[in-house]
Amino acid sequence: MNLTRALSALVAMVLAFGALASPTSAQQIDEARVAFRTGRYEEAIDMFERLTRRDRSSVAASRGFSRALFDVGRYEDAADAARRFSRDNEDSPELQNSLGKALYAKGDLEEAEAAFERAVQGGASDAPLARLNLAVLSYERGERETAMEEFGRFIDVYNVGRDFTSEELTAVGTAIRYLRSDDWQYARDALRIYDEAIAADPANLDPRVEVGELFLEAYAGGEAAEAFEDVLQVNPSEPRALVGKARHLRFAGSPGAMETVQRSLEVNPNLVPARVFLAELLLELEEYKAAAQQIERALEVNPVSLEALSVMAATRFLQGDEAESEALRARVLELNPRYADLYVRLAETSARNRLYTKAVEFAQRAVELDERSWRGYAVLGVNELRVGAIDEGKGHLELAFENDPFDIWTKNTLDMLDTFEDYTEERNDLFIFVIDGKESELLSLYLADLAEEAYERLAEKYQYRAPTPIRVEVFRSHADFSVRTIGLIGLGALGVSFGPVIAMDSPSAREASEFNWGSTFWHELAHTFHLGLSDHRVPRWFSEGLAVHEERAARPGWGDDVSPSFLFAHLHEQLLPIGELNNGFARPTYPEQVIHSYYQASLVFDLIERDYGGQAIVAMLEGYRDGLSNEQVFEQVLATSVDEFNDVFFDYLEERFDGPLSALRPNLDLPPETFREGFQRGAELTDDPNNFLSQLGYGHSYVEQGSYDEAIPHLQRAKELFPEFAGSGSPYWYLALIHKEQGNLERAAAELAALTAINERDYQANLQLAEIREGLGDAAGAAEALKRTAYIYPFDMRLHVRLAELLSQSGDLQGVIRERRAVLALDPVDRAEAMYQLARAYYEAGELSSARRAILRVLEDAPSYEEAQELLLEIHARGGGTR
Amino acid sequence: MSLATLIATGWLLTLPQASEQVHLVVVSGLSGEPRYAERFHEWSTTLCEAAKQRWGVPAANIAYLAEQTDRDPARISDRSTWENIQRTLGDIAGRAGPDDQVYIVLIGHGSVRDGAAKFSLPGPDPTASDFADLLQLFPTQTLVFVNAASASGDFIAALSAEGRAVITATRSGRERTETLFARFLVEAYATDGADVDKDERVSVLEAFNYARREVARVYESENRLLSEHALLDDDGDGQGTGEPGLGAEDGQLAATLFLSGSAEPGVLTGEISDPRLAQMYAEKRALEEQVAALRQRKEEMDTATYEQELERLLLALALKNREIRELEGEGPR
Repeated sequence: MNLTRALSALVAMVLAFGALASPTSAQQIDEARVAFRTGRYEEAIDMFERLTRRDRSSVAASRGFSRALFDVGRYEDAADAARRFSRDNEDSPELQNSLGKALYAKGDLEEAEAAFERAVQGGASDAPLARLNLAVLSYERGERETAMEEFGRFIDVYNVGRDFTSEELTAVGTAIRYLRSDDWQYARDALRIYDEAIAADPANLDPRVEVGELFLEAYAGGEAAEAFEDVLQVNPSEPRALVGKARHLRFAGSPGAMETVQRSLEVNPNLVPARVFLAELLLELEEYKAAAQQIERALEVNPVSLEALSVMAATRFLQGDEAESEALRARVLELNPRYADLYVRLAETSARNRLYTKAVEFAQRAVELDERSWRGYAVLGVNELRVGAIDEGKGHLELAFENDPFDIWTKNTLDMLDTFEDYTEERNDLFIFVIDGKESELLSLYLADLAEEAYERLAEKYQYRAPTPIRVEVFRSHADFSVRTIGLIGLGALGVSFGPVIAMDSPSAREASEFNWGSTFWHELAHTFHLGLSDHRVPRWFSEGLAVHEERAARPGWGDDVSPSFLFAHLHEQLLPIGELNNGFARPTYPEQVIHSYYQASLVFDLIERDYGGQAIVAMLEGYRDGLSNEQVFEQVLATSVDEFNDVFFDYLEERFDGPLSALRPNLDLPPETFREGFQRGAELTDDPNNFLSQLGYGHSYVEQGSYDEAIPHLQRAKELFPEFAGSGSPYWYLALIHKEQGNLERAAAELAALTAINERDYQANLQLAEIREGLGDAAGAAEALKRTAYIYPFDMRLHVRLAELLSQSGDLQGVIRERRAVLALDPVDRAEAMYQLARAYYEAGELSSARRAILRVLEDAPSYEEAQELLLEIHARGGGTR
Repeated sequence: MSLATLIATGWLLTLPQASEQVHLVVVSGLSGEPRYAERFHEWSTTLCEAAKQRWGVPAANIAYLAEQTDRDPARISDRSTWENIQRTLGDIAGRAGPDDQVYIVLIGHGSVRDGAAKFSLPGPDPTASDFADLLQLFPTQTLVFVNAASASGDFIAALSAEGRAVITATRSGRERTETLFARFLVEAYATDGADVDKDERVSVLEAFNYARREVARVYESENRLLSEHALLDDDGDGQGTGEPGLGAEDGQLAATLFLSGSAEPGVLTGEISDPRLAQMYAEKRALEEQVAALRQRKEEMDTATYEQELERLLLALALKNREIRELEGEGPR
């Protein structure tokens, strides 16, 4: 039902009620209800209160009053309102369910149960709702069989087929929703019945909220969002819908979850699920203390809230307070010995904080507690995959999916796992490479050596050897990589490290020049070391920044570079303080903030390495491992507070980029968006020789007009002003084009060499550089440029042929063999020729046995191939024949 | 090995004998846009030139019909109307020997209208059935019919017959976007790379496989879904094969067809006057045959024995080739 119809129904309901009761009071009750259902809570409370005073026997007024108080979190007042009605009406059972709900929200479970019982026993008009609440109470105490039996009775009640109210249908839907752990098909039934509840009273928003929550449980984000939006359009302050929306936003990776849940708490500051969710968001930001404060507030409202106690247990665990965490877990299990969600939450929270092994342990305990915790099996399976237990993970996911096929995460992950059938696994002592069969031969040529080099260099640097073998999964499809990482498509990242497992995009998953897969791998492997060394307790900002720092140390040009956008953000004071850098990754407030945060964090380690040495970084990681907080680590290792370091850092940044910052300051009046995605034109050109944008703008303009001689001084000046800028539209590129056009090949090569020494992924610049250097007779230099392209986009066969020829000229015989193998791996039509070239490369490198094997394969397919025949004879002449 | 033995082996049967001729008709269809006109003309002329210059097909045996004759009057024989195509093929039928090979290559756009697959020409568009009727002109000749146009797949069923290799750029009439197949088919004949068995000739099978793989490579490198799946049918069953080969359902005939003005140098042409050299060629052929026979037994042989025997034969073959070259005055390479 659409919104207009819902609103019309609300009005119709008002008119209908008006016809049933005495005109004045009915109309006023309906007006109060409208106020309540449209989120004018205070007004509704006032109206209902007046009505209850006027007519102390009005069930509708008292229920409305109690419910309105309940929804804004005034649980004690809601209970009092119910009690007052009972006193005034000779112990009528009519408000007992309302009383029970209020008591339940405060954690007075026994009293709540007694109230629900009184409603049922007394035959209150809302007895079915009280019956449901009793079943829920049983369920939450771990009396699963009793609860499920009771939930099942709602089916019988429903099947009797009388006219149910919307509230009753909502109760039936909710009862059936609980039954889905026994049979997933009940989820469909629950949805159908919620729809009936909506149809029975389109103005009743409760079933719509339940629908949204059901969709959220099934990871159907779009449908959930739609349901919550339907509610919020009628009542923009509906607290549960706001929590639901916030959860959806986090689910979708969209900004605004924190703000939305806070809006909910503004309406109902005692809404425990909202506090718990806010705490979970804070945990993701690694703000453990703030998270604990939120949970403490939730427990003040309801000291026996299972979800609040569970998240507190998770918080204490993350804070390293294992004893307190254990005590909290014991308390939860005392309240409900079968509460698997305790461990599901611990597992999910651990996973979000990169503690994947712990996530597996916790999820295992969840399914031990409740063998029907399909969510537990799903979380277990996903995290087993993350620690490399592929078969076990797949098995548990299949079990979860069989019993809960609505879980999109599980379904997507299983679909992704099916693609592994096309993948090959190659092992060595350190790594297991899992790569699509179509490209494994090619990528392994580069990845195997790079991985070994990276491992050994990082091991030496950190004086730590990460546990091996490390599983490296390389995905041809970015969607599969995304599912592997977050269970859903849409992840923007290029790679992820779970510690013992690295997953990343293949270069074929993206266009050439989109990324450098070599540096991406190095980055992810650095994470594996950071996670291992810190026992997975390193903060995200720290590991991300340090991994970029490691990229830069790996190869000239690798790693993020400073951009005008970054410096402009600094000038506009958009860069975050070091103590808040996690927010830049987890809760960015502007589109480029994630990229800026990576670069900013990497500069932190440039500074620490400069001032304290690399050993300090290792000591910091060890500090995190020992459970120290960010603040403690800075104090202990660097003998400074985070705030003090922050000041030093920004001084360092100002000093390091003094020139470019000065050259950008003249354009400070431009909006920060001017620099979206790096550099963009749009600045008004001035004659100021110290204005970077103007100089570059003039340069571009003259190039476009073909006035190369006029362009050169401006481009040169722009380069002097901001020499580290080698991104799209950089002076280096344009100067190289001009010099090439004018025949100054040496100068063109120099510009391109400077560009590629900064920019790690400019495919065209490397190609141009190789071509020019080759023309200048610099075979080794040309080869160097082409070698770089292999880590950008290795799928152009011609480049490998050229590189093989260049390497041959410079005497790099092993390089020639690698490139000839690369050509073969690309499955050339003329396989005989490619194999012949490989055989010759082996022969020239003195590897006669390999040469012989290769040439026999050539001649087997092309026995008349004369050059190959001659090579066979040569091999035999040198003693390389059959022994 | 005697000539009779060689012929009996079958695989040399379809090489054009001294008296046999290869005829090539290239038809460039309606372009629709200048960029297509340019492209179709370039591919067509490249193919004609390769046939003439690279593979020795006599100029008199090559006909190129194009949309606009004034684009290149020296090369274009006639306008590519259906009437002119009929006349051209009629002329060839009138002069072709019974064992000649006739190559017909259509480059352009295709369509399926009213259930009939068509090739777009200036004027009326002929259907696959129209071409099937026209090919009745060649009852004994070996035909290679290539429709490299979009939506060409249905031509296979219509034209399939014994002694014919029929190639289409797409597997059905539903693949309607412009095709790249012609570009790479032409490239197979015009450049190095398609001769995968290094016998210095490009068979129709090699050309087809080269083209289909290069097409796939372009789509893959551009991250596009492949929208043209070429087919080859040469066993007359009306069912094309996407990956033909000697061990596949189709490909046996195509492996023996070469766009060539004459047979390879050697015993068959009678060009070798030196009996010693002729004997050596025969011995070389015999060794090649032994290699082929050994390969057929590979699966049933022990790997080491196979490798040993293979190497022995290949060494003998290499030495024989070296002897031939020395005798021919080329010396070792």
